[in-house]
Amino acid sequence: MSDVSELFKEKGLLSAAIEGFSPRQAQLEMSQAIEKTIKGKSQLIVEAGTGTGKTFAYLAPVMVSNQKAIISTGTKNLQEQLFHRDLPLLKKALASNRQAALLKGRSNYLCLHRMGQHSGNSTLLEKQTLNELTAVRQWSSTTKTGDIGELKTLAEDARVLPLVTSNVENCLGRDCPDYEDCYLVKARNKALEADIVVVNHHLFFADMALKDTGFGELIPEADVVVFDEAHQIPDIASEYFGEALSSRQIHDLARDIEVVKRTVLKDADQLVKVAEKCRLIAADLRILFPYDPEKGNWRKMLNRPEIQAQMSKLDESLNLLYEVIKLHLGREKEIDSLFERVTQARDKLKVLTDINQTGVSLWYETTPKHIILHLTPLSIAKRFASFIEEVERSWVFTSATLMVDGGFSHFQRLMGLDGANTLALDSPFDYDQQAILCVPRYLPEPSSWDMKNTLLEVAIKLIEASNGRCFLLFTSHAMLKEIAHKLEDRISNPILVQGTTSKRALLEEYVNNKKAVLLGTGAFWEGVDVRGDDLTCVMIDKLPFAAPDDPLLQARIEDCRKSGANPFAQIQIPQAVISLKQGAGRLIRDETDKGVLVICDNRLITKDYAKIFLASLPPMKRTRDLNQALAFLTELQE
Amino acid sequence: MADVTFYTHEAESSNLQASTDPSAPDHWVTACEVVAQCYRNKRRCLVLCNNQQQAEALDDLLWKRPLDGFIPHNLVGEGPNGGAPVEISWQQTTTHTRPVLINLADDMPSNLQGLKHVFDFVPVEDTAKQQARERYKQYRAARFTMHSLPASSIYENQNG
Repeated sequence: MSDVSELFKEKGLLSAAIEGFSPRQAQLEMSQAIEKTIKGKSQLIVEAGTGTGKTFAYLAPVMVSNQKAIISTGTKNLQEQLFHRDLPLLKKALASNRQAALLKGRSNYLCLHRMGQHSGNSTLLEKQTLNELTAVRQWSSTTKTGDIGELKTLAEDARVLPLVTSNVENCLGRDCPDYEDCYLVKARNKALEADIVVVNHHLFFADMALKDTGFGELIPEADVVVFDEAHQIPDIASEYFGEALSSRQIHDLARDIEVVKRTVLKDADQLVKVAEKCRLIAADLRILFPYDPEKGNWRKMLNRPEIQAQMSKLDESLNLLYEVIKLHLGREKEIDSLFERVTQARDKLKVLTDINQTGVSLWYETTPKHIILHLTPLSIAKRFASFIEEVERSWVFTSATLMVDGGFSHFQRLMGLDGANTLALDSPFDYDQQAILCVPRYLPEPSSWDMKNTLLEVAIKLIEASNGRCFLLFTSHAMLKEIAHKLEDRISNPILVQGTTSKRALLEEYVNNKKAVLLGTGAFWEGVDVRGDDLTCVMIDKLPFAAPDDPLLQARIEDCRKSGANPFAQIQIPQAVISLKQGAGRLIRDETDKGVLVICDNRLITKDYAKIFLASLPPMKRTRDLNQALAFLTELQE
Repeated sequence: MADVTFYTHEAESSNLQASTDPSAPDHWVTACEVVAQCYRNKRRCLVLCNNQQQAEALDDLLWKRPLDGFIPHNLVGEGPNGGAPVEISWQQTTTHTRPVLINLADDMPSNLQGLKHVFDFVPVEDTAKQQARERYKQYRAARFTMHSLPASSIYENQNG
């Protein structure tokens, strides 16, 4: 018998140490498969339905294997849950002395050097930021980890944050005078020494794509890599295998040059002038685009004369900046690092304006003040596959939402994991008894103008029947706003709307206020775990197909068409299926949960491809009669 | 001129494949199978019911089918331009745009022009059976080519 079966069995170590633990067949199966994967240095893809207990199922074999492991998950919150709750519990249960470490992204750690830089020149800062800086400085004298998350009083988007943390560009690395005390270095060293390191996907792929060099790399040390929430990694990996340059980077570059001039290089007037010119040209580039933020095809934009002209200006001035800053090389450590940044910006600009390259999408996005140019590979499959083959190592990819229509081929194709073993584990929940899926009758067509009125009426009925205990999930921000606004006049329940405060605060408010209804888009389709009577109904406004005007999606569609395949079937449907599964997954979180999922999109009835969506959702009872769904909800209230 | 096929049901004809809804009458289960065959053979069809309530009951029955037999459909008053492959109606149509009509109504459809094939049913229950016989006579009087098959035969001929 294998090691893990002993752990998971009745009266085994886990049930002895963990209150309420009972053996689950699917969990054991997953755990055994992972144990086999670790022993065989192979790759495994596991879809584990909600309630399988996948966290312990992968932690346990990792813990008993005595191999070095990286666990990568989707968000900082999940990282903290794993590190502070699940790992200690399991460690205690197994009486294991394996060392675990938590490593977050660079922007989470205080940078002593940058904090020091901003002490002397308070004229550059606003009052609010100065107050925040004072708070950071006070906290910095007591912190052990330098994890800025400890400073709970600081807002998630506090202006001081970029000033007291580093990024790849402004970090001086080994040349930094504060290198010895650097919190990031300490955290990374701790991670290198640990047996189990908990990271997030962004950190992992930055490390893998060598986008954050200068420290010991983590991956070469690992024998086992486990991705939880693995459905997110194709997009994140694509991002890190690509390039990006933003006007903000140039703006920051100019600002940092000015700081250096004010603090140490008092005679560098010309340098500041040239940097300022770069900043202005980059800012002017933004002004050539519409006022409202948008995404678009950068290749096409580069055909426009005024953009072309602006880009050559930017190129020229960056070249000039390069020549000028070169003159100061060797005078100060900061100048050397700034020279690196100028060089990189110049090189990136070259790549991002090369319209003759193939296999990549060139696109841009604008924010209210800035523009970001992107290069994203259309496929990362080959690159990831060869990376995996480089060294003997075990790889586990798991999530509740990887399969489309009963198969893994979509995920395998995206990641180049053709040779991986796969395992599908159903949720232990009795969906047929616990949940109803309803697509109401006589809905207008998904994009028609009167859809919002129908959505409003359906929402009001659901809110009433569920006593507010429902999530209204939207595919677009515009629809979310419109419905939120109209609901105000029609219901007395408190309305919590995404965007008014942080996700965490909003969820807290929802759970505490027993009559509140929550309206959200993207962020609330995933990673929200509200159990029991607090969530009895989820309404979804539309099948979550990606916006067809997304430039990266367009490029992938074009590429797929050229290869003779059907992009709708190969790209758009699978992506929407995974998203819908995520959204639907919010409803039933526990064996005793009950509820209603209402999807207001009649394509689930009228289209051939509806079958793929329905077959990928948990097997809930289906009805088209909204009254039946409402009756179920009313019953739950009694 | 259209062919008219009647599927006849006997009291003991419980050999029909299990329905997703045990309360559905036998000839509805047969009708669903005819709909399924039309869809498989890419023949667009219209299902005519007595009233809206019946139409909605059939709509529910179709949507609750096991997914390997999924049938995209719509009720009159919803759906994309031109409708889904299967449309369910309770209103008489003046012009038929689909080649196949499946009649679940008690009376013979008033307009049968432009159709290639009409499917109708002789249910088990007495009153309904009497109405079906009446319809059969009317179709024949209107000189349609008539066919009559036992309901169970539909499962033998999967090519419809």
